[in-house]
Amino acid sequence: MLPLKDKVALITGSSRGIGNAIARKCAYAGADIVINYRKTGGTSQEQGGQLCKEIEGIGRRAFMVQADIAVKDSVKKLFAETNEKFGRLDYLILNAAKAPFKPFEKLFERELRQLVETNYLGNIFCIQEALPLLEKSSGKIVFISSLGSRFYNPAYPLGSMKAAMESVVRDCAEGLRSKKILVNAVCGGIVKTDSFKVLRQYWEHIDMLPDTLFVEPDEIADVVVFLCSTESRAITGQTIIVDRGLSNAICRLPEVKSKE
Amino acid sequence: MSQNIISEEKVFNELKKAVVETLRVDADKINPETSLIKDLGAESLDFLDINYRLEQAFGIKMARHFVLEHIEEMFGEGTAIDENGQLTDKAVETLRIRFGNGVSELKPGMDMDEVPALLTTQSMVRGVMDILDSLSEKCSKCGSSGWESKDTVRITCASCGEPATFTNGDELIKEWLTKVQEDKKIF
Repeated sequence: MLPLKDKVALITGSSRGIGNAIARKCAYAGADIVINYRKTGGTSQEQGGQLCKEIEGIGRRAFMVQADIAVKDSVKKLFAETNEKFGRLDYLILNAAKAPFKPFEKLFERELRQLVETNYLGNIFCIQEALPLLEKSSGKIVFISSLGSRFYNPAYPLGSMKAAMESVVRDCAEGLRSKKILVNAVCGGIVKTDSFKVLRQYWEHIDMLPDTLFVEPDEIADVVVFLCSTESRAITGQTIIVDRGLSNAICRLPEVKSKE
Repeated sequence: MSQNIISEEKVFNELKKAVVETLRVDADKINPETSLIKDLGAESLDFLDINYRLEQAFGIKMARHFVLEHIEEMFGEGTAIDENGQLTDKAVETLRIRFGNGVSELKPGMDMDEVPALLTTQSMVRGVMDILDSLSEKCSKCGSSGWESKDTVRITCASCGEPATFTNGDELIKEWLTKVQEDKKIF
C-alpha cells in the first residue's frame, strides 16, 4: 500500500535540488504533485517540466505553477490554482529558499529585506493561504530547514531564517493542533545539490569532508514522506535532523579505513 | 604581469566546455556574443557551476560578486542601484567603461535583475584573462621567472613545477574600480 496514495502534495521550489527529489518521492509514494518554481524561461522551468513528465509517466498527476512565495498575490494564485486543478491539498512542503551569500555585516538593506521576504514572510504566506485546504484534509506541513539554523556557516545568513522558521514550526504545531494539522521540519545536513555550489565557493576545504557525511537529497525526501504518512501521526512541532551524524561531533579525526 | 602562455582562444574553448557540461547545450550554439542567460537560459546557480569548472581548470578564483555590488561596497548602498532596484547614472557610466559602449541596452533606470543577461561569453573570457594576467613575476617557491603550461590550461613554474598563483576576481574588480575612480571621479 502506497503511504501517500491519492493525496495531493505541493512542494515550493521543486524544480531543482532537494525540492525536486521530494516531489519525485511523494509521487512514487502515491501522491499527485504541484510543482512550484519562480523563474520562467530558464533551467528551473525546464527541469520542472521534465519532472512533471516523469511523474505523469508513473501514472500520477502533476502540474507546474509559477509563483514567487515572497509576493502574497502570487501565493494566493498558487493555492487557487492548486484547488482548481486538484480540489484538495494534503501536504504543504515548504522548501523554497533564496538568499544572498555574504556575511551579515556586509548585507545591503535590500538583501536583508529579500532574505526576510522570501524565507520568512513567504513561508508564512504559504501556511496562511494553504490553511483552508489543509483544514479540510487534516493535512500536514513540512518545512525544510538546514544545519545553518543552529551552526555557523560562512556567508550563510539564510541560517538565521531557518532558525526562525523552526520556531514557527513549533508554534504552528500548537496553534493548528485543534485543526488536526501536524507541522514538522526536516533539518538537512550538507547536500550536494545546487546550493552546494554556493557553499563550495565560501567554504575553502569542504571537499575534504568524507563523502559518507554528505546527505543525498533522497535521504531528506524519505523523511519528508515519513512525516506526511500516518506512521508519523504522533510527531508534531519537531525538527528532525538528517545529516548522517555530521553535527554530532565537535572534533572530527580523519577517517581511517578499516583493515580488510 | 600580462601572460602569453594561455591564449584567449584556449580560454574560450575551456569556457565552452564548462557551458556545455553545465547547460547541456550544443557547443556550436556558443559564440563570443552569446548571452548565457538570454540565449541559453542559464540561471544564477548555473553561473556558479560554470565558474567552479573554470576555477578547477585554470587554478584561479573567479569573482564572487558582480561589479555593481563592489561599487556599493566601496561607495555605499544606493550609489549603483536606487531604491527601486534600478541602475543609477553612475552605475551605467562605470559599466560602460568596463564593458564598452557596445552594450546598447545598458541605460540608467534599467532593472538590476536585467543586467546579468547582458553578460556574454566574451565578457567571461575577459574575466578569466584578467585573472590569468595577474600571474606573479616570479615563482613564490624558487624565484624563477619562467612559466609554462604542459598540454593543459594550468600554468606552472618551468623550473620547480610549483602551480602559479593569481589575484582573485573580486580583488581585481576592486583594484579596477579604485583606478577608475581615481581617473574619472565618478562617485
